[in-house]
Amino acid sequence: MVGSRLWRAGLRHQRLHGWQTVLAILGIALGVAVVMAVGLANQSASRAFEITMQQVSGRVTHQILAGPAGLPEQLYTDLRLQHPELTTAPVVEGVVRIRNEQFTLLGLDPLSEQPFRSLTALPAPDILTRLLTQENALLLSTYTAKRLGLESGNQITLDVAGVPRQAQIIALFGDQQGAALDGVLVADIAAAQTLLGQFGTLDRIDLTLRQEQIRPLQEWLPKGLHLVETSQRTAAMANMSQAFQTNLSAMSLLALLVGGFLIYNTATFSVLQRRRQFGIMRLIGATRSEVFRVILIEQMVIGLIGTMIGLGIGILLARELLWLVTRTINDLYYSITITQLDLSPAMLLTGTALGLITTLLASAAPAWEATRARPQSVNRRSVIEQQSHRALPWLLLIGLAVMAGGLLLADNSGRSLLLGFAALFCFIMGYCLLVPAVVPLLSRLFLYPVQGLFGTIGRLASRGIDATLSRTGPAISALTLAIAATIGMGIMVDSFRTSVGQWLSQTIQGDIYISVPHSSSKRASSPLPEELPAAILKVDGVREISTGRHVTVESESGPVNLLAIGLATTSYRGFKFKGDTLKNLWADFSSGNLILVSEPYAYHNQLKVGDAVTLLTPDGKKPFTIGGIFFDYGSDRGLLVMPRAHYAQRWQDTRITTIGIYLKQDATLDAVLTEVKKLAGRSAQQLSVRANKEILKQSLEIFDRTFTITQVLRLLVIAVAFVGILSAMMAMQLERAKEHAILRATGLTPRQLLGQITLQTLLMGLMAALLAIPLGWLMAEILIHVINLRSFGWSMPSQLSPSILMEAMLFALIASLLAGLYPSLRMARTQPALALREE
Amino acid sequence: MGRVILILLLPLLVGCQQNAETTTEKLSATRLLSSIDQQGFSRADKARAFIFPQDHAAHPEYRNEWWYFTGNLQDQSGQRFGYQVTFFRFALKPPGKKPARSRWSNNQLWMAHAAVTDPEGGRHFKQEKLTREGPGLAGSDARPFRVWVEDWQLQQSQQGFPWTIRINADQFSIELEVEPTIGLIRQGDKGLSQKSAAVGNASYYYSYPRLRSSGEITINEKRYQVTGNSWFDREWGTSALSSEQTGWDWFSLQFNSGENLMFYHLRNQQGEADPFSAGTRIDKDATTKRLTLSDIEVTPLTWWQSPSGKRYPVEWEMKLKQENRTLQIKSILAGQEMDLSVRYWEGAVDIYEQGRSIGSGFLEMTGY
Repeated sequence: MVGSRLWRAGLRHQRLHGWQTVLAILGIALGVAVVMAVGLANQSASRAFEITMQQVSGRVTHQILAGPAGLPEQLYTDLRLQHPELTTAPVVEGVVRIRNEQFTLLGLDPLSEQPFRSLTALPAPDILTRLLTQENALLLSTYTAKRLGLESGNQITLDVAGVPRQAQIIALFGDQQGAALDGVLVADIAAAQTLLGQFGTLDRIDLTLRQEQIRPLQEWLPKGLHLVETSQRTAAMANMSQAFQTNLSAMSLLALLVGGFLIYNTATFSVLQRRRQFGIMRLIGATRSEVFRVILIEQMVIGLIGTMIGLGIGILLARELLWLVTRTINDLYYSITITQLDLSPAMLLTGTALGLITTLLASAAPAWEATRARPQSVNRRSVIEQQSHRALPWLLLIGLAVMAGGLLLADNSGRSLLLGFAALFCFIMGYCLLVPAVVPLLSRLFLYPVQGLFGTIGRLASRGIDATLSRTGPAISALTLAIAATIGMGIMVDSFRTSVGQWLSQTIQGDIYISVPHSSSKRASSPLPEELPAAILKVDGVREISTGRHVTVESESGPVNLLAIGLATTSYRGFKFKGDTLKNLWADFSSGNLILVSEPYAYHNQLKVGDAVTLLTPDGKKPFTIGGIFFDYGSDRGLLVMPRAHYAQRWQDTRITTIGIYLKQDATLDAVLTEVKKLAGRSAQQLSVRANKEILKQSLEIFDRTFTITQVLRLLVIAVAFVGILSAMMAMQLERAKEHAILRATGLTPRQLLGQITLQTLLMGLMAALLAIPLGWLMAEILIHVINLRSFGWSMPSQLSPSILMEAMLFALIASLLAGLYPSLRMARTQPALALREE
Repeated sequence: MGRVILILLLPLLVGCQQNAETTTEKLSATRLLSSIDQQGFSRADKARAFIFPQDHAAHPEYRNEWWYFTGNLQDQSGQRFGYQVTFFRFALKPPGKKPARSRWSNNQLWMAHAAVTDPEGGRHFKQEKLTREGPGLAGSDARPFRVWVEDWQLQQSQQGFPWTIRINADQFSIELEVEPTIGLIRQGDKGLSQKSAAVGNASYYYSYPRLRSSGEITINEKRYQVTGNSWFDREWGTSALSSEQTGWDWFSLQFNSGENLMFYHLRNQQGEADPFSAGTRIDKDATTKRLTLSDIEVTPLTWWQSPSGKRYPVEWEMKLKQENRTLQIKSILAGQEMDLSVRYWEGAVDIYEQGRSIGSGFLEMTGY
C-alpha cells in the first residue's frame, strides 16, 4: 500500500518539477553522447585499421623488409629458387592521391597471392589477363568506388608524388557495404612499379612461415635485410595512435563525469525537496529499503531516458567526430581511410552501462541519505543543515586525502598512461569533495563587501549560500568541476601551441625551403631533382644551403623516422637540447660517430645521452651512440638525426628530400623566392617552395587542425557544464520557492527578490570560478607533465594564459546569471500566498 | 602435337581462384583461350629450318610453347616407374617493340608439371608450379641451353648432352640425365604440324623419341637408382583447337625392337576421330614415316573413373592397318590423372601384342 503511494508521489513530483527532470535527462544525455561519440569514432578508426591490416596482410605471418631503398627484386627470385618450400609473395607498396585523397597502392603478383589474400580473385578470367598485362590497370573496392562515384572502366588521374599519371579501373572487388579496404588500390606488381616509377625493387616480401622455417631463413638472408613478424609490426602500428585515442576517451569521460555530477545534483535536490514527504511515508509504514528503492529506481529511469537519448545524439555526433579523428590519425600516424561508423553492440552496451552506472553512483548517495534520517527529524530543515555542516571536516579530510592519493599515484605510476588518467580523476574528485568545505569560508569572506555594496539583499544572498550548504555545496562543486575542465584543457592546448610555435621558429633557420609535397613511398619521402642544389647555389643572393633526406629505417623496435641532414653553418642553432649533450657534440656528430634523437623517441625507448640505438643498415645491424636529445614536436613517434654524408655512405643513398636556403644579408627574400620558384618550376615533379614564415604559418595550421578534435571536446564539456550549472542553479532556486515567498510576504519587493536571487547565483558562479582556477591550473599541470609526456613523450613548460581564466570566469558568471533569471522572474511574478500554499 | 594448348590458359583461370573447381568453370577456359587475341603473335604457317641451340630456347613471339619429357624407368631390382616433366610457356601478350621497364611486365607465364608413377605401390604423385617470368623466376636460355620454372629445371651439360632434369617436389624428386639414342625428329611436314584446316593453326614440333635416361628418383625420402628410356617433345605455336575439336588421345610408344611410334587422335564433339589426327613411325635408324588417320585406328577398351568423377579409357586397342597388326595398350596404373589446375590424364603404358609385352610408352588424354 505504502509502496504504491511512494511511486505515485514520485511520479507526481517529477511532473511538478518537469524542468528539473528535463535538465537532468539532458545532462546525462550529453555526457553519454560525448563518451559514445568519441568511443564510436575511436572504435571505428581501430576497426578500420584492423580490417585493412587483415585484408592487406592476409595470412602473412612474416615479412622481409629492407632499408629506405627497398629490397632488390632479384632477392625474391633467389628466395624462390633457393627456398622453394617457403610460401612467399612479392609486394610493392606506395602512396598515391586521387582528387587529393590519399590511397595506398598495393602492387601484388596475382600468381603468388592465393595463399595470402583474396584481393586478386576475380570473377572473370579476362580481367585477370588485363590486370597482368595492362600497365595502368587498377582494382578498387566497390565501396570506395561508390563513395568516389567511380565505375569499373573509368579512367582516373593519380597524383604520384606530384606527377599526374593516368590509370584505369578495370574491376571492383568486395561488396558495397563493406568499408574494408577503403583507401586501397590494388594493381599488378608490374603496373605498380610502372605507376610509381619504382623499378627493380620491392617494398617487402610476404611470407607464411612455420616455426622451424624461421631460423634457416634468417641465416640465409643477406645483411641489411630484416625478417619481422607481421603481428608485431601491425601491433606496433596500431600502438602509434593508441595514446592519441586513449586521450580522446579520457577527455570524453570528463564530460561524463560532469554529467554524473549533474545527476548527483538533481538527485540530491529531488531528494532534499521531498525529505519531509519521505519522513511522512516512513511514519505511515514505508521501510527504509522501500524508500531507497523508490528513489533509486526513479533516478535510474531518468538516467535510462537520458542514456537512450545520449546514445542517439552520440551516434549523430560520432559521424562528425569520425572525420576529425581520421584526419588527425592521417596527419600524425598512418594513412587510413575511415568513412563508415562501426556501430558495434559492445560499444553501445558500454555507453548504456556507463550512463546507468554513473546515474546509480550519483543517486545512491542522496537516496541513502534520505533513508538514513530518523522519520521524526527529517522534516526539520535545520537538522539537515546541521548535518551538512557537521560533515564538512570529514569532506575536507577525505577530499584532501583523495587529492593526495591522486598526486601520489601520478608520481608513482611510472609511464602508465591509464594510471596517469586515474590519478587525474582522483585529483579532480578529491577537489570536488573539498569544495563544499571551502564554501562557508568564501561566503563569510564575501559577506562584508557584498553587504557594503547591496545592503540587506547582499547580506541575504551571501548568508543564504552558507545557510543552505546542503544544496549550494554540490552545486558549486559541479560548477567548479565544469569550469576547471575547460580551464585545464585550455591551458594544456595553449601551452602546447606556444611551445610548438617557439620550437618551429627556432628550428626553421633557413629562409626558404624546397620539398616535394607528398611522397609515393612509405619508406622515404620523394627525392628532389639531383641537379637542384647546384642550380640553387648559383642563384643571386643565396649564401648557402642545407639539405635533408627523410627516410624510414628499421630499428630493433620497429620502423623509425630518420632525418639525414647536411647542415648549413647556422643550422646548429635549430637544435635545442634537453639536458646535457656529449662533449664536442657537433664535431663528433659531423664525423658520423653520433646521432641525435628527439625527445619522444628517447622517452618511448627509455634512452639517455650516451646510450646506443641499433639500426639496420645495408651492412647489417649497427649501433649508433646518442649525442644529444633534442626537443621536437614534429612527431610523437620520434626522429633520429644523422649527418647526410654519413647516411649517404652507409645507406648508399645520395638523394635529398628538402633543401633549406640561407640568404646573404643584403638579399631580398622576394627576389630569391621568385628565382627559386622558377628553378623548381622546371622540374616535371610538382615542388613546394616556401618562405620560412609560410612554413611556420602552415605548421601551426596543421597543429590547430590536429587539435580541432580536442577543442571540439572542450566545447562539448563546456556545453555539458553549462547545462549542469543551469540545472543546478535553477533547481536550487525553484526548490527555495517557499523561502522566497516568505521573503516576499515579509516585505521584499519583486525587484528586490530578483536582485537577491540573481546576486546569489552570481556569487555562487564567482565562487565556483575562483575555486576552478586552482583546480584547472593543476589539471593542466597534470595533463601537460603527466598525460602528455606519457602519451607522446613531449615535455613543455605550462603557460597560464589570463585570457583562458577570463574566459572561464565570464562563462561561469553568464551561466549562473542565466540560471538565476528564470526562477527569480517566476518568483517575482508569483503571488507569495500561492507559493506558500503549494506546500 | 596439339596437346596442352587448352591446358595452357587454364592456370589463368584456376591457378588464381580457389573455388574454380567445377567442370563448367574449367570448360570456360576454352572461351578464355578464344578471348585472348592471337593478333600480334607470329603464326606457324610454313615450314622453317630449326637452328640449335637457339630453337631449344623459348620463342616469345609465339603464344605458347612446351618442353615435354615422359619416360619409363626401373631400378636395379627391376621396380617400374613412370615419370613426366613438362615446362610450359604461355604469352599473355605479344612482346612490345621496346622492353617494359618493369621486369615483371614481360607478359610470360610459365608452368611446370611433374609426376612419378609407382605401379607396384599403386601410387601416382604429381605437382605443379606456376609463375610469371618476372625477374628470372622462370625462363629459358639458349647458351648454355636451360629451361627453368623456379628451382625445377632442365639444363644441358657443357658438351651439349647429356641434359639434366632436376625436379624437387614435396613428396618426390626426379634427377635424371638424358641422352638421345635416336637423333632429332621433325614431326609433321618438316617440323610443321598442322592441327586444323586454318592456315597457321599449326605448331612447330620436333622430338627426341628415345633418350637413354639414368639417375635417381626419390619418393617420400626413399631413393631409387633408375635407368630407362624417355621421350622428349618440343612444340611452339599460336594455334588453338578448332571449335569442333574437343580433346585428344596422344600415344608415344617405344617398342622393345627399337622402333617408335607417335600418334595423336583428335576427337570431335561426337567423339569421332578428327581428320587432322596424325602421327609418325620412327625406326631405329631414325628414318620416319608420317601416319594419318587412314593408317591407324584406336578404340577404347576399358574405362576408369577418377575420384574427380571423370571417366578415362585406360586400355586401348590400336590397329596398324598397313601391317595388319593389333596392339593392346594398357596403363600400368589406372590412377594417373593429373588433377592439377588443369585436369587431364597422363601416364605410363605397356604395349602388348597377342598377349606378349612388346614395349612401353606414355599416353595423354584430354577433353574427357
